[in-house]
Amino acid sequence: MRQLFVGMLQVALSAFGGGLSAWSQRIVVEERRWLSNEEFLTGLTVARLFPGPNQINMAVYVGTFFHGLRGALVALAGMLLLPFTLLMVLGLAYFSFHSLPAIDRVLAGVVAAAAGMALSMGFKILGEYRRDPVALLLAAATLVAMEGFHVRLVPLVLVAGPLAMAWYWPRAGASRLPKP
Amino acid sequence: MALPPFLVSLGAGAVPAPAGFVELLGLIPSGAGVLAAASDASQLAATAADQLAHCEPMRLNDLGHLLQVMGTFLGLSLFSLGGGNTLLSEYHQISVNQFCWLTSTQFADLYALAEAAPGPSSMLVGLLGMGAGWPEGPGWALLSAYGAELAILLPSTLLMVAACLRWNRLRDSPWRIAFERGLGPITLGILFAVGLKILHTADTNTPGLIVSLLVCVLMLRTRISPLWFMAVAGVLGGLGVINR
Repeated sequence: MRQLFVGMLQVALSAFGGGLSAWSQRIVVEERRWLSNEEFLTGLTVARLFPGPNQINMAVYVGTFFHGLRGALVALAGMLLLPFTLLMVLGLAYFSFHSLPAIDRVLAGVVAAAAGMALSMGFKILGEYRRDPVALLLAAATLVAMEGFHVRLVPLVLVAGPLAMAWYWPRAGASRLPKP
Repeated sequence: MALPPFLVSLGAGAVPAPAGFVELLGLIPSGAGVLAAASDASQLAATAADQLAHCEPMRLNDLGHLLQVMGTFLGLSLFSLGGGNTLLSEYHQISVNQFCWLTSTQFADLYALAEAAPGPSSMLVGLLGMGAGWPEGPGWALLSAYGAELAILLPSTLLMVAACLRWNRLRDSPWRIAFERGLGPITLGILFAVGLKILHTADTNTPGLIVSLLVCVLMLRTRISPLWFMAVAGVLGGLGVINR
């Protein structure tokens, strides 16, 4: 248990500035040999499929693999302890000082860059759906519903989700789509 | 436990009419008539959101506030598709328009802060919770931050544990395959909407917009760490090239 905690702490520390899944693979598979490469890749699939942040789900997967629910909570704590503490310090500093003009000016620039990062998220996975007109239509309809009609996320997913699942329900013998 | 989020938002009747209308839309997903009428109202709501004078915070006691924060995020946890970024628009709607925890500018700041800090970017929820509790003092702000983060992570974590323990049976289930293939395109659409929403929230001048578009292209074409983009853009902001 303690090893699990320390290992996740190590993953979180190594991942300063991104590239978390590569780091966790190196530490979990190569250094500590907790999981085989195949088990790790399965974990990545499950983590992406289920709701929740991928990196956090990955920690839950590794933890569950060893000690079930308790392991998952320990892994989660190890993963989050340092980054979240740091973020809380940053947050308290922000709320105390954000009205200073100098801080606000710098933040305006940082916000512009962050907006660019947010904008790139959709384009990043667009390629996967290039050859599937129905998927593109679904995505476009979702975009229009949210942008044009301000439909909220929860009703949107509850209505569009089952419709899309019905369309993509696996049919015997016909694999119309490349696996995303 | 706190009220479920839809009851909480119904309780926000004190919010001015346009914003309340859009909220109702959220509760009544179907019906073309509602959708058509809403596009007018939503424009009103969008302008109202910019003038925070229209957004009156709810009067709750400290503990009530904390429970409201936690109840809201508990209800959203299972909707964090595609790694959690799909929830960003919803976070903005809740923290800026619905509960008035933050101004739109503050929301953009906190988003940038969460992106710049190490660790998963979904820790933004902790910062939103902090914003919600800040008027009650730093102690409540911290408590609210931890509560919010716990609430957004707990349901998805429990589901993930259950999924891991039963993965062998789940793997070949048609439900799993349909879920993965069907929700993918919806996630794609939501992510585009979220990108536009954040760009709109950032609300910078033309040089800022150019920087945003440039960063977007560089994120897709290069493997440069995003921290560099934020550092350079921060300097540009400090020099007054980018402002809002």
